[in-house]
This record gives sequence, structure tokens and C-alpha cells, in this order.
Amino acid sequence: MNLHCKWILYTLTAFDADDVFGIIKESVEGTMGGNIFQQNRVDQWTSNVVELCLSQLSKLGKPFKYIVTCIIMQRNGAGLQTASSCFWDDTTDGSCTFKWENESMHCIVTVFGLAI
Amino acid sequence: MSDFAKEKAARLLKKRGSVSSLGSHDVKAKETAGKTKDSISTLSYIEEPGHHEDNPRPTVQMENTFQLAPYRRFPVLTVNDILKDVLSSYLQEEKYEAELCRQMTKTISEVIKARVKELMVPRYKIVVLISIGQLSDQNMRIGSRCLWDSSNDTFSSHSFKNSSLFALANVYAVYFE
Repeated sequence: MNLHCKWILYTLTAFDADDVFGIIKESVEGTMGGNIFQQNRVDQWTSNVVELCLSQLSKLGKPFKYIVTCIIMQRNGAGLQTASSCFWDDTTDGSCTFKWENESMHCIVTVFGLAI
Repeated sequence: MSDFAKEKAARLLKKRGSVSSLGSHDVKAKETAGKTKDSISTLSYIEEPGHHEDNPRPTVQMENTFQLAPYRRFPVLTVNDILKDVLSSYLQEEKYEAELCRQMTKTISEVIKARVKELMVPRYKIVVLISIGQLSDQNMRIGSRCLWDSSNDTFSSHSFKNSSLFALANVYAVYFE
């Protein structure tokens, strides 16, 4: 198969981190831009961010299953470490992590896409 | 094929083809920082050491198995026990320190992945996510949502706390149809 055809197959079937980045950025900035950390609203924010991401991702129409994780943490000088380990098919599956912060909080969103 | 799509494909191939550090799953390579009025956002790709080839493997066409559902479901309770076991054995006596916990998250995620793989549940893809954080007076919320087939796919989660740190382990199992 020549390179041209490989490119076509690759873009149609592999996880595209660029598209996903745009989607996550919009969801996070739309939900949390300009807000201060408020304990009673954090619940709503995490649900919002994750649900917005998921609905945009499903509109992409690709044959993927998605896992979206969101961590919102108050900025208090405390440390946080996150790691992930995945058992999947390297050629078709992928993940994308997006970090966002303002003066009062941190937000980390990770999207895993697994091909069906 | 349009030029735009070709350029995008070339960019993707180049990214996938680059080799990252050996041995550890460090977040590196591309970091695009954008500054808006009062917030900073960064994007990082997780580069895995598996992408060594210049040309990606073309998609493999699988033969039909005529199998509608998994023969063996994912054992959630067993995995819960594994998570409890691993987290308490690795973190029972530890104090939060940035360098130590960085290594610890990577180690623990590899260990959990290996133990879940030992269960040998066929046709399931596994994603393990570990977070270790320092206990101070901060408030934090961790949430996740998944778009999948809820009859076949599932997840398992466990959290652990001691006097100076907390840890959260999530395992997602996705059926490969």
C-alpha cells in the first residue's frame, strides 16, 4: 500500500489529539473562565466540563469509546501527582491531557480514546 | 485528498514517529502555552516509548468472530481488592514528597496494570489512572464520565488516605468488539 493510502487510513482510524485539544479547551474555559474557587459549585463545574467534552466528542462521529477525567483543585500550595498506565492498541488509541489554572484553582482534564 | 488533510496527517505521523525518553512515561514533547486574561492553559501529549516506527502499521482487518458479548465479564470485585492491596502496601507508611510520589505514581500504575493483565480477561483494554496528592487545607473534586457500552464496559475505583497524603486509583476496562 503506498504512503498516501496509509495516511488516509491513519487519520481516519487513529486518535486525533489536535481535535480533542480544541474541544477540551472550549469546555474548560467556557465553564470556569473568570470564576473563583467555590466549594458549593465545584460539583457542578466538574459535571459541566466533562459532559460538554463528551457531547462534543460524540459529535465528532468517530468509532471511539471515550473516557474523560477532570480534576479541580484549590490552589493552596499542596502538591498533586498523576500517572496513567494503559494496555491498548498503540496505533489506534491515544490520550490527551489539558492543564488549566487561574489564581484560585487548577483544573486537569484527561481524555482517553479507545478504538472500537 | 485535500492539502489540508495531507498536512494534518503528516503532522500526526511526525508526532507519533518521535521517540521519547526510555523507561518512563514522562509528559514531554509538545507544550503549547496560551495566556488569556487571567488564566494559563497548557497542553501536553503523553509520548509513549512504543512509537518507534517511521511508518505506522496499517490498520489490521480483523476477521468476524460473530461474538456479540464477552464470554467472560470483567471481574470488578477482584480488581477492587487488587487496588486496595497495592495502594495500602505501597503507601501505608509514606509521607508526601514531590520526587518520591512522582516515582510512586508511575510505579503503582505499572504494578496495577501488570496485576490486572494477569487476570487474563480476553478482549478487554485497560486504562489505569493514579493520583497522589498532599493533604493540606485544600478542597478538591475529581470526576470522570465515559462514553461507552455500559453492558460490557466497566470501571473500578479505590481511594486511600493516611496522615500526610491521599491516593486515588481508577481502572477502566473497555471491551474491544
